[in-house]
Amino acid sequence: MRTIMGLAVGAILGSLGATATLAQEFPEKPIRFVTPYPPGGSHSLHAGIITTVAEAYFGQPMISVIRAGGGGVVAAAEMAQGEADGYTVLFGDPTINSLRPQVEDLPYEIDDFVPVARINYSPAVFVAAADAPFDDLDGMIAYAKENPDKLVYSSDNKNGFTYVAFEMLKLKTGTQMKGIEFGGGGPAIAQVLGGNTMAYAGAPSVVGDHIEAGTLKAICATDLERWEKLPDVPTCQEEGVDIVWHFWRGVLAKAGTPEDRIQMMSDAFGDLVQDEGFLRLINTINSRVGYLDADAFGELLAREQKDLKELYDAIGG
Amino acid sequence: MLDLLAQGLALIMTPESIGAAVLGLGAGIVVGALPGLTATMAVAVLAPFTFFLDTTIGIPFLLGIYKGAIYGGSIPAIVINTPGTAAAAATALDGHALARKGQGRRALEMSLYASVIADMLATLVLIFVAAPLATVALKFSSPEFTMLFLFSLTMVSAVSGNSLTKGLISTALGIGLAIIGLEPMTGQMRYTFGMPDLMGGISLIPLLIGMFALSEILLQAESGAPAIDAVGQQKNEPRATWQDVKGSMRTIFRSSGVGVTLGALPGLGAEISCWISYGLAKRRSKKPEEFGKGSIEGVAAAEAGNNAVCPAALIPMLVFGIPGDTITAVLLGAFMAQGLLPGPLLFEKSGDVVYGLFVLLMLTNVLLLIFGFFAIRHLRKITLVPSGLLYPLVTVLCFAGAFAVNSSFFDLVIMVGGGFVGYLMRKTDVPIPPLVIAMLLAPGLESALRQSLVFSDNSLSIFVTRPISGAIVVLLVTVLSWMAFQAFRKRTRARTAEE
Repeated sequence: MRTIMGLAVGAILGSLGATATLAQEFPEKPIRFVTPYPPGGSHSLHAGIITTVAEAYFGQPMISVIRAGGGGVVAAAEMAQGEADGYTVLFGDPTINSLRPQVEDLPYEIDDFVPVARINYSPAVFVAAADAPFDDLDGMIAYAKENPDKLVYSSDNKNGFTYVAFEMLKLKTGTQMKGIEFGGGGPAIAQVLGGNTMAYAGAPSVVGDHIEAGTLKAICATDLERWEKLPDVPTCQEEGVDIVWHFWRGVLAKAGTPEDRIQMMSDAFGDLVQDEGFLRLINTINSRVGYLDADAFGELLAREQKDLKELYDAIGG
Repeated sequence: MLDLLAQGLALIMTPESIGAAVLGLGAGIVVGALPGLTATMAVAVLAPFTFFLDTTIGIPFLLGIYKGAIYGGSIPAIVINTPGTAAAAATALDGHALARKGQGRRALEMSLYASVIADMLATLVLIFVAAPLATVALKFSSPEFTMLFLFSLTMVSAVSGNSLTKGLISTALGIGLAIIGLEPMTGQMRYTFGMPDLMGGISLIPLLIGMFALSEILLQAESGAPAIDAVGQQKNEPRATWQDVKGSMRTIFRSSGVGVTLGALPGLGAEISCWISYGLAKRRSKKPEEFGKGSIEGVAAAEAGNNAVCPAALIPMLVFGIPGDTITAVLLGAFMAQGLLPGPLLFEKSGDVVYGLFVLLMLTNVLLLIFGFFAIRHLRKITLVPSGLLYPLVTVLCFAGAFAVNSSFFDLVIMVGGGFVGYLMRKTDVPIPPLVIAMLLAPGLESALRQSLVFSDNSLSIFVTRPISGAIVVLLVTVLSWMAFQAFRKRTRARTAEE
């Protein structure tokens, strides 16, 4: 009940934009934790878990705000125009914060945001339909080379996570495959399961059970080492194609937010990810922790943004 | 399977689980009955609270809300003509017409019976043929979806008003509005004029609340009449009889079939099912002329059609971990937070819990019947509230509901705009449902069409060479020719009558 009251009070305070007068201990009012995607996806699920346990580490409630639209662009654009006071943070990912502002004409820039903390990441696992005419990466490449544009794969959105994974694969292997954008991970995986397409790339938590059940064939994972819950799936590097592509979930603040506030939040998230309740929930949803503080997260972002720029320069996208 | 059912029964037949389901059901009916509040919203807000509850308490609670809210939507639709969801809009057509004739209770009871029967049938399908049905559903790809979307749009344009032309105008407006925003395949901006608010497109729920609810309020404010004529409160108001139910049984079965089929397909839901069911019922009815003017069969068709979707929508979610709509997406999250990972291994790993939930779904159905009775007896009295109090209250709910979806002020603008446009449409007798449904379906139709053409290298033959898609094309053509034939016959008859 207290939480509900807190939410209600917080919502009222938040919407009135109560101005912080004295520079006291940050935070002195609830923090809005903005999820840029609709409820139900993995982002909102993580956000629900983070905000439920956050109060103990921030001294103030954290309100989960779902601000979906335009594939995450609406929330990011709104935040970019908001105040740099640290009271609104974005639950971002590589497409919103590293890729799309570089390659699309969006109403915000990469530099509108500064990193606070990475919560975790997952690689993409390339998978093939159970009846696809190949079983591993070599077979897949050979098939694609022999049959240009005949290998049809399920993609999510233009410049989405799966989309980029396949662009990397096509560039590194010099193959031509045909991607169909189904507008999201759900329909994309449905189409490969139904055998309407031949391949897909998605998070381990999504494709893992299908690999175990034999309804999808694992090809390789876009990580530096094997994923602990899928020990039999090789990395793409092991298979001879150098692809590393992480879907991270991280917290970002508006650029210009005072340094001490960023540091405070970065530390608080560092403690939060060790919370017992948090770990239990994050395990039950088949996810895990991969915390990075503000500095390390910043380095990762810079590297990733450079890599993506090179990829898009090469494919002319 | 039977031993799993028995295990599940033991797991779920506890006072705590049933209590949680009852609580959820009650809360759900209230949420569904309040215009502006939606089932998705209720489940999304309450889901995080269940993370820390036991599985056999948290999940029954959420399923109770889900069920209650879907049913609850029909109450305001019938009583004060303000459907809270697009799925209840078809119910409002005949339900409210009946209420105006002083048969509100009959309509409410029919809607309850139809809902419960359809839900029961669909739950049986879920229990016994979930896996095979889900496998068939996966064979549906872009060409099939394209044709299904087209079919749905045709149905809703044709049956929701008196004039096909006006229905088509409304559909076209809806498609026009749906074009605004991010283009689905390549991410280009369309008609956003650089306004970030428009990038996500026109939000459907605020528009829907404005068009369905606010416009009715404006109309009522203008007329100054009481919410419903005194007939609505007479002592011996007619109730739904055994004859009513028996007479609509075929319709209920057909609508349940439609609901289950569409529900099992990821991406299609109650909003479409109720209209297709309604359209088919009208076509097959002995008294099609009563549809839209207070047909008890129409109420049964629409309600059975949208309620049968509920259990069926759980099929792709449970079997493949693919949520079919936003509400099952939220439920999927809640399941995962309980360590129940929907997908191919769910039945293997947590069979007892899953079958326990199946039993619970059946049980909540029986409870819904009891609750519904109670709700009808009391919520019917909403009409006794002076309209000077009732409508301002509903207006507040409209604003709250429209804002709550995306926490966006721009959505309030859309809601109010929708209210005025809806008012004009009601004045000019242009049906509102085609606009809303077209807005809902157009993005899917566009994506599916373009995906199909990528599949086929831009050849249209893909729509007829695939068996399921071809079958839908045949069905569509049959329905269209039947409609043309009806119109032709009507005209010739009118001419003979003149002579």
